[in-house]
Amino acid sequence: MIKSIDILNYLSENNFELSTGVPCSYFKELLIELDKSADIQYIAATREDEAVGIACGYYLGKKNCFLIIQNSGLATIGDAFTSLAQLYEIPLLIFVSYRGLEPDKTFPEHVIMGNVTEAVLNAYGIPYWNMKGENWRKILDEALERMKEDSSVVCILVEKGVII
Amino acid sequence: MRGKEVIASLKEFISDDTLIVSSNGNVSRQAYNFLPQPQVYLRGSMGLPMSIGLGLALAQPEKQVLVITGDGNFLMGLSSMTTIGNYKPPNLKIIILDNAIYATTGGQETVSSTVDYLKLLEGFGIQHYGSLNSIKSPSKLLEAFEILLTSKQTTVLHINVEEDIENLENIPWQPKEIKNKFMEKI
Repeated sequence: MIKSIDILNYLSENNFELSTGVPCSYFKELLIELDKSADIQYIAATREDEAVGIACGYYLGKKNCFLIIQNSGLATIGDAFTSLAQLYEIPLLIFVSYRGLEPDKTFPEHVIMGNVTEAVLNAYGIPYWNMKGENWRKILDEALERMKEDSSVVCILVEKGVII
Repeated sequence: MRGKEVIASLKEFISDDTLIVSSNGNVSRQAYNFLPQPQVYLRGSMGLPMSIGLGLALAQPEKQVLVITGDGNFLMGLSSMTTIGNYKPPNLKIIILDNAIYATTGGQETVSSTVDYLKLLEGFGIQHYGSLNSIKSPSKLLEAFEILLTSKQTTVLHINVEEDIENLENIPWQPKEIKNKFMEKI
């Protein structure tokens, strides 16, 4: 388990000043912590593609923004990836809740996207990491390095209960 | 007036401190051809120019951010106006060029004529200059631009323009080049 405050401190140290997205219950604690943060502002977007637009505009203004979304949003977000973030080679860090896995199957609305989440990211050509447990800093270091080197979108998958 | 004439008449109001986000299709091509370069010229991401403008305005609070969008693009991204209405960055200005058609794709009708833009913007809690008819009162445009770009709050200007399906050549810069040139000027 990873403490929300530790992740936010890490992101703040890595020069992120803004965050945006659409909530998932997997990120409830993280969003509460963000609300209290003096270092990182959160913009509540109405859709995931809108959140990509906000983050890309912020980057064009020479500042860094990360996204927090549910994996259902990976379906909504497509054109914002392919004709904006990826097309203009804008680096973008996205935390994506990994819903629809076995323990989550009481929520049938997440099952289909849960089954195809990694296939969708592979189809978009977006590198991703499943962040669980103690080596989370190393995973984020690696993801941010890749994001900067390739000027690319990178996704961090987060399963239930990983961020507290 | 046609959209391109409205965009061309904006020129004298654009300084080095004005950052323009122009929507994909004809609007960004016209901004490229008729306004000082470089700016953000969108090639795709229909519906997102207002969101990109919001992010840019938050990152660069000392500069004026001007989003120029067609009606089809604006309507696709309508929910993002809720977000803008909530956060209201004072340096964000939006011009909607409403020709009631998807001009770039051949002039198919949009549903824009059903919208009362002033009521809509009031509903979002967003300051608006009003709705101008560039065909009937072209002389009011310059005054409106001056007010829009000196306004101290998020402000939207809706302009009815003539239909015009004449397409300009595509912007010769590659998207990465657009990004790099734009970021170099900031």
